[in-house]
Amino acid sequence: MTVTLLDPTAERGSVERPQAPRPASIDGQVVALLNISKPRGEVFLGQLAAGLAARGATVRHYAKPTFTKPAPPDLRRRIAEECDAVIEALAD
Amino acid sequence: MVEPPRLPEGLVAVVKRDCPTCGLVAPVLGELAARGRSVAVYTQDDPEFPPTVAPRFDDRELTVSWHHRIETVPTLLRIENGIEVARTEGWSRSAWEALAGISPLGADLPAHRPGCGSLSVDPVRADQLRVRFEGDRLAARRIDLGEIEDELEAAYDRGWTDGLPVVPPTPARVLRMLDGTRRAPDEVVAVVPPDLVPVTVEKVAINAVMAGCKPDYLPVVLAAVQAACTDRFNMHGLLCTTYFSGPVIVVNGPIAAQLGMNSGVNCLGQGNRANATIGRALQLVIRNVGGGRPGGIDRATFGGPGKYTFCFAEDEAGSPWEPLSVEQGFARGTSTVSLFPGHGPSAIVDQISRTPGSLARSLAAKLRATAHPKLVMGMGAMLIVSPEHARVFAAAGWTKARLRAALDELLLIPGEELVRGAGEIEEGMPAALAAGRRLPKFLPGDFSIVHAGGSAGMFSAIIEGWVSGERGSQLTTQEVIP
Amino acid sequence: MHDITDLEGAGLPGVFVASNEFVAAAAAQARALGFDAARVFVPHPIQDRTDDEMRALADAAVDEIVARLLAR
Repeated sequence: MTVTLLDPTAERGSVERPQAPRPASIDGQVVALLNISKPRGEVFLGQLAAGLAARGATVRHYAKPTFTKPAPPDLRRRIAEECDAVIEALAD
Repeated sequence: MVEPPRLPEGLVAVVKRDCPTCGLVAPVLGELAARGRSVAVYTQDDPEFPPTVAPRFDDRELTVSWHHRIETVPTLLRIENGIEVARTEGWSRSAWEALAGISPLGADLPAHRPGCGSLSVDPVRADQLRVRFEGDRLAARRIDLGEIEDELEAAYDRGWTDGLPVVPPTPARVLRMLDGTRRAPDEVVAVVPPDLVPVTVEKVAINAVMAGCKPDYLPVVLAAVQAACTDRFNMHGLLCTTYFSGPVIVVNGPIAAQLGMNSGVNCLGQGNRANATIGRALQLVIRNVGGGRPGGIDRATFGGPGKYTFCFAEDEAGSPWEPLSVEQGFARGTSTVSLFPGHGPSAIVDQISRTPGSLARSLAAKLRATAHPKLVMGMGAMLIVSPEHARVFAAAGWTKARLRAALDELLLIPGEELVRGAGEIEEGMPAALAAGRRLPKFLPGDFSIVHAGGSAGMFSAIIEGWVSGERGSQLTTQEVIP
Repeated sequence: MHDITDLEGAGLPGVFVASNEFVAAAAAQARALGFDAARVFVPHPIQDRTDDEMRALADAAVDEIVARLLAR
């Protein structure tokens, strides 16, 4: 059963949890490509990397040890420290 | 609130199968029907019970039982013209005969048998039922968390906390918190800066739950919110400042002991739930309702741990003097909160002075140095005189007024010591103001004296203040209303 | 989607890319996590695509993926 809470705020914002702030352009951003490690994903990600680089982003590659679980905490930490944005792919 | 469901005219019984007395009276209900006084029977747990009568009404939702305040089963009621005129709980032959107007009834039953607890007052179900039936008293937006969202993380993720975890404000907890006041949940208590949001009793209650308050504390929190949001206290200014201060709450009157507040050992420190959570609730209201957050409008250079919570009770019983509330014009025995814009505490050590004059000079020496020894007439202060120090004054027969007069005189400082450049310190008072005069450290009304602290320790404490007067914030006292 | 949710919490804009078999499951996960992570779907199937077909899928998706990382 889900928990219901009462909103403690002035209710001027959306009830949705806010997204992280986004930049105006991808040019100059360091983008993490997080491979969930399902087969064929690396081809897709490789092509995405080329597309991102063409748009002025710097791409860094990371991979989860398994697609069946969330990424280990130290992998997440590295991505958070080293990058400005993240694309996780390719689930099927 | 929703209107209670109407009961049919005549006799009504509320029963449950899981109750020996209800089983005992089942044939009596049949008897009544046979003698032309049929009974509308509401069953709380099994709609097939009791088989001796028809019709039976399914009250497994407990809507009828809740709204008609059924506490025992069986309960027999008589309804005339839509109004309950009589009820009896459990089985008592005489009471049932009187209520039904039929005699004899249940001749082969014992004369009395007590009933069992109604499911509508079962403690295990109490929260659910309250939320179901009283939930419409709550106007706040509901936020349904995801099934795998952790309730404590959810508050952090939504920016609701002060950095410490908060108690998740479920409807059940907020309803219980609202029991702590007679004020209506939708009553507007104050307009909260900086966003100037009208805050209701309910919104304060939600934040009080998050802070960890008990329902009894709510009236004190409400009074603190009201005091903080006055023009006089100027919470907006206090939020925007780069200075250290935040709202400090001093509680006076019988409410302090009723809530088990701490005015003694470690009263400014951790460990007392009321002290800790009342101060915290005020800060959460300002943050969550008013929108006043660090990094946003709050640009304090340092802030201080007191901005998590800073609330204590004055020790009135042990004090030789009148309490702060009385000085502020309230009758002794009135419960009040006094809000002071401050930070601290800072220590005044004096373990030798046995004469009031000497001790007053020690206190003055430290008071003089608050903010900066060469800056006067700007910021206020609150002096907390400890029991050991208070005894020195009391033994010499010094009233608070006498102490205050002594300190006022000691804190009149020659302008040549204060002026910019004096002592090769560029900071100080402008020459135009300071030259040839003595200036008071504190402006009238900016310096208060209270009594608190543990009985051992020859120290007193200063809560240093902020800018006072029109641009600043002043000590503001508000009565606590139940 | 846990990873994207976590990293968004750390201040990184994130996008989850999946085949469109995942639409309902991703929505359910988003609800369960209490965060509506940005997600882009590519046509199923994936496993038996050639490398060229995979690269074409990536080219077709890149504009939308980038858009979801930027301010609207």
